[in-house]
Amino acid sequence: MTVVCVEQLSVHYDKTPVLWEVDFEIPVGLIVGLVGPNGAGKSTLLKTFIGLLRPISGGCTFFGKPYKEVQKKVAYVPQRTSVDWNFPIHVLDVVLMGLYGKRGPLKWIRKEDRALAKQALDRVGMLPFASRQISELSGGQQQRVFLARALLQDADLLLMDEPFAGVDMATEKALMEVFVQLKEEGKTLVIVHHDLTTVKNHFDWVILLNSCLIDCGPVAEVFTEENLKKAYGSAAYLVTETKKLTRSKTSGV
Amino acid sequence: MLEFFVDPILRAPTIGSMLMGLASGLIGCLAFLQKRSLVGEALSHAAYPGVVLGLVIAAAFFPGGISAAILVGAFLSGLLGLFVIHQMEKRLKIASDAALCFVLSVFFGVGVCIASGLQISHALWLQKIQVFLLGEAATMMDGHIFLYGGLTLACVLSVISLFRFLEILHFDPEYAKAVNLPSKAVHTILYILLMVAIVVGMRSVGVVLMSSMLIAPPSAARQWTTKFSSFLILSGALGLLSGFLGNALSVWSLAPLPTGPMIALVATAICLFSLFFAPERGFLPKLIRVTHFQLRCKQENILKALYKKRTINPNPYLLWRMRTKGWIKGEKLTPEGYSQAEKLVRLHRLWEVYLVHMGQESDRVHHSAEEMEHILTPEIEIQLQALLDNPTQDPHQQPIPGVSR
Repeated sequence: MTVVCVEQLSVHYDKTPVLWEVDFEIPVGLIVGLVGPNGAGKSTLLKTFIGLLRPISGGCTFFGKPYKEVQKKVAYVPQRTSVDWNFPIHVLDVVLMGLYGKRGPLKWIRKEDRALAKQALDRVGMLPFASRQISELSGGQQQRVFLARALLQDADLLLMDEPFAGVDMATEKALMEVFVQLKEEGKTLVIVHHDLTTVKNHFDWVILLNSCLIDCGPVAEVFTEENLKKAYGSAAYLVTETKKLTRSKTSGV
Repeated sequence: MLEFFVDPILRAPTIGSMLMGLASGLIGCLAFLQKRSLVGEALSHAAYPGVVLGLVIAAAFFPGGISAAILVGAFLSGLLGLFVIHQMEKRLKIASDAALCFVLSVFFGVGVCIASGLQISHALWLQKIQVFLLGEAATMMDGHIFLYGGLTLACVLSVISLFRFLEILHFDPEYAKAVNLPSKAVHTILYILLMVAIVVGMRSVGVVLMSSMLIAPPSAARQWTTKFSSFLILSGALGLLSGFLGNALSVWSLAPLPTGPMIALVATAICLFSLFFAPERGFLPKLIRVTHFQLRCKQENILKALYKKRTINPNPYLLWRMRTKGWIKGEKLTPEGYSQAEKLVRLHRLWEVYLVHMGQESDRVHHSAEEMEHILTPEIEIQLQALLDNPTQDPHQQPIPGVSR
């Protein structure tokens, strides 16, 4: 079964093209790495998936349907930098936000919900921190709380934007363990990643991206010297250069 | 105390000021969390020309509805200010602070110009308008209370019903969009509520001082709270309290003190008190904790010097503190002080071993250890011992005391 299907997707920021005619499919039950150099459009792709950005042409479907119809089955974990960590809120309340993804924000929170949220926290090893203020946590702990929130939503597809950024080795390992468990439960995970050294260990599939889709498929087939050269080598330099050019031409500078 | 709520002259100003404090304390929280507190300042000034025009139009066409016309005028002109700010930021790419200042000064200037144009022809109107500059709670009647009460109630109910939305929207805006919250609609409602709070406040603190009521209560409340709900409730309550106390002080005072500035001053005083004295985030408790730690370091250094039989700097205060802790008697170590000193030396040397283990040169580790001996916790000590396999000597071949094999 196909979980994500992307067809001829092009996305622009203002007038600068960021993704060009991207086209791929992701089958069910895999841990998929979304890999590419800085500015390759990895986060853009995820944001387009969940409707934060509107494509200029093409589109994507999940479980064969548009995002709005299956939103409850898709959990999104944003980059840590997009959040106000000084906001007055406790860890458990952050996790409980996962329920809004599941059934809308106007329902009252019940005792069972708190119990479920605590279970999710326990699964990522953060239960002792349940009543801590969110700003007291380290980067890795914040990331785990985010994962717990996604777990509470009980989605079938998890989209994660750089969950390993600024996270220590122990946390990375702990997160991976949970990811593997989720995969074994039949869930699909799409993870934006930029550490090339760990790609082969972490992922079953790789989407290699540099504005265009370079390749998509099982790690062994896609993560080759040749493809990496295309994404990161001197040929890729032209992609960056032309993007800069279009930005200056279209904005009239 | 009770007379403020019963006396027919006092009750309207008192209740009106309290309603104002509640509404602005509550709504101010949301601007505070968006780090856009200055929007309140700009919009309250932007409301002023609306006050003037509202009065002029109402006085000319339907003299019965002057109060209502002023409120509607203020509301609309504030919204126009908001629209201009938004357009300047979005379309002209003008920095937010510049756009806010522009709207603040231009709108306020226009208001002042029209008002002074009325000076000679309609002196009575001008008087009515000037009430809204610095506020004059004393001129409020019972009728006003129902109007302001209704508007405040609308603010409170909106915040309660939107509570979860507001929480997600302010904490994690991207997630809010991902789960399909109507972010734009909620933002629009927020700005409308902000305008309502300003309109409620104009009469008691005036457009000039209004922003203090939007900023001071949230800043104070944030010092004491770690949850969104308690933050909102406390901020509203502090606004309410400022409204009451400001009013009471201006009544109790011997010289005639104006109510609006008194309320703003009370709110600011509460805010300053919180900034200095709140247990977790306050300036003074932080200072005390730092000083306390520094004193402990000094005492521990004396302890170490005694342990190593070196001469000490006999600071009488520090020695007195150490005596009360039972670490020394006279100037000799007690058994307890001895084991405390042993612990310090152990941590110092363990840390040196650790740094050498991590690849540092052994002659460069002393400095770091001088600091870490005061900081390392028993848990870290256990971890260090396990990691280094219970060392008995430091890198300088000195014994590590108190390690049992």
